[in-house]
Amino acid sequence: MSKIQALGLDVGSTTVKMVGLDAEGEMAWHFLEQAEPLLENQIARFLERARNVTGPLDGIPLVATGYGRGLVNQATRTVTEITCHARGIYRELGHGGTLVDIGGQDSKVIGISPQGKVIDFTMNDKCAAGTGRFLENTASRLKVSLDRMGPEALSVSDEVSISSTCTVFAESEVISLIAHGVSIASILRGLHRSLVKRMVSMILTVGLTPPLMLSGGVAQNPAIRQMLEEETGQKIILPHYPQLMGACGAALFALDA
Amino acid sequence: MTIPAIPRRIDVIRTFKEQGGYVAAVLPIHYPRSLLRAFNILPVEVWGPPGIKARDGAKHLQPYVCSIVHNALSFLQSGGLDITDILIVPHTCDSLQGLGSILLDFVSPKQPVIPIYLPRGKRESDVDFFANELRSIYRQLEAITGHSPTDADLLQSIYREEAADKLLSELHRCRRNLPFSNLAFYRLLRNREHLPAETFMELAQKALAQKVDTTQDGGIPILLSGIVPEPMSLLGAISQMGGVVAADDLACCGRRLYPPGQSDDPFRRIAERILYAPPDPTRGNSIKERLEHLLQLVETSGAKGVIFYEVKFCEPELFDLPQLRQGLQEAGLPSLTIEMDLNDPLSHQALTRLEAFLEMIQ
Ligand code: SF4
Repeated sequence: MSKIQALGLDVGSTTVKMVGLDAEGEMAWHFLEQAEPLLENQIARFLERARNVTGPLDGIPLVATGYGRGLVNQATRTVTEITCHARGIYRELGHGGTLVDIGGQDSKVIGISPQGKVIDFTMNDKCAAGTGRFLENTASRLKVSLDRMGPEALSVSDEVSISSTCTVFAESEVISLIAHGVSIASILRGLHRSLVKRMVSMILTVGLTPPLMLSGGVAQNPAIRQMLEEETGQKIILPHYPQLMGACGAALFALDA
Repeated sequence: MTIPAIPRRIDVIRTFKEQGGYVAAVLPIHYPRSLLRAFNILPVEVWGPPGIKARDGAKHLQPYVCSIVHNALSFLQSGGLDITDILIVPHTCDSLQGLGSILLDFVSPKQPVIPIYLPRGKRESDVDFFANELRSIYRQLEAITGHSPTDADLLQSIYREEAADKLLSELHRCRRNLPFSNLAFYRLLRNREHLPAETFMELAQKALAQKVDTTQDGGIPILLSGIVPEPMSLLGAISQMGGVVAADDLACCGRRLYPPGQSDDPFRRIAERILYAPPDPTRGNSIKERLEHLLQLVETSGAKGVIFYEVKFCEPELFDLPQLRQGLQEAGLPSLTIEMDLNDPLSHQALTRLEAFLEMIQ
């Protein structure tokens, strides 16, 4: 492994991610875990892991991002997840456009200029609808594992319409649909469509400048990708590590130091 | 340097009443201060108030009515406005118009309620209409107080408010040459919401005496638009993140820099002052006028972006936003919208947006 010169730590609400970059800004190491309630302890553990890989961290700049960025006392500086995601994806894909990031508890749409600068953004951070949590909640109600949700949804062409955008109400709607004998796969398809439609309205707030890029944990879900393409008429471009774009961006800022 | 000592609102009200005056609780946004003062009535504005238990008002109001109106009704019903003698409700928007009707038809508070019908425009006929509306308010105040100020009394009161507004404009104009933080500066400005003009002028003059020649280094300049900067900690957060409010288009501040009137008729003069103030959606100004005004503020202040800090469910503001933001974008100016409820603390999410916006424009 090439020598790590800078670290980025993305303390998200659902997962915590850390990325180490070499002197050329290439990803040399990364690590990801589900977020724990005692974030300070988890952050200390991440730093310990980084130390095991790089040796002493003195002199290696660390930039923290994500909703828990303020808890990383060891960080050289903090940068918001908006700016870090834009920087990370630009570095990997090399062009601007519209980035949709669907995280566990929030989602964002970021307009990125051809030079890689954030030109506009919007966030959905008040309500679980339009976030990974929307799918997660209903998945657990349907007893389908998260990674099976997308394939299941795509396995049928029948789609029920889920009228509730609110996660809690959607769950009740799902229960009632099951009671009426609707197949789980059709319900799943409807749930995905509902989330995607929510995302499309956010995209329209910022304005869709192609290409459309997708990041965040939910980017691994094929149904989301397919439906987002259907609803926007745009081909989706995915980075290699959709979940690590924020941490990568943070590490790139650290490398600037 | 610190801002001059500011008397507490409740002390101002008590002192004014002890001296034989009346106090009017006034809802946002535009109203005839000088007319009230000519009757020895001190207007004290009620922008909510923020951060109260807005429970009582919920009986009469729909959940999608803004928190300024919810809080005002709750505050009134919990006795918070008992010290006041009159309630003034300008028909600023549908929500306040609804509140006026609820007060008159259902709640029947102990104080007389005076609605103000504002025209939606600034044509000659609008000035005529509004001057007549002010004459009708004069007669209502005459009946309540038993006073009948003459035209000369009215003009004297108008000139005093014009002098206070001139100082207010001066404070806005040279804000970057004053050694105050964002927060301290807005605390000073917002005293105009309850201080008598003469007391406000003393404070403003003391503040202006601290003006320095060089621009104070405040960071990334932004233009703050919206209704009211509550919670005020927003202003501290902007400073902390390296920003400075270089100009504002806030309904409670910059949109109330009333120019002097022209007419010698006191009612027309008051009408002119209010109708010719900076554009405001609640007075029917077009998006074009608003956009031109914002761009002019940006040019004079050097602001690098506009933050629309909105009260949730505020229709007049939110209806304009898509076109306003688009117009700004076409002019190369980034903007951000943050919606808040008057009773919520500044959320972590709102702070992240603010920080990301400052990162974006720096
Ligand atoms: S915040 Fe908007 S809706 Fe509420 S009272 Fe003010 S103008 Fe009306």
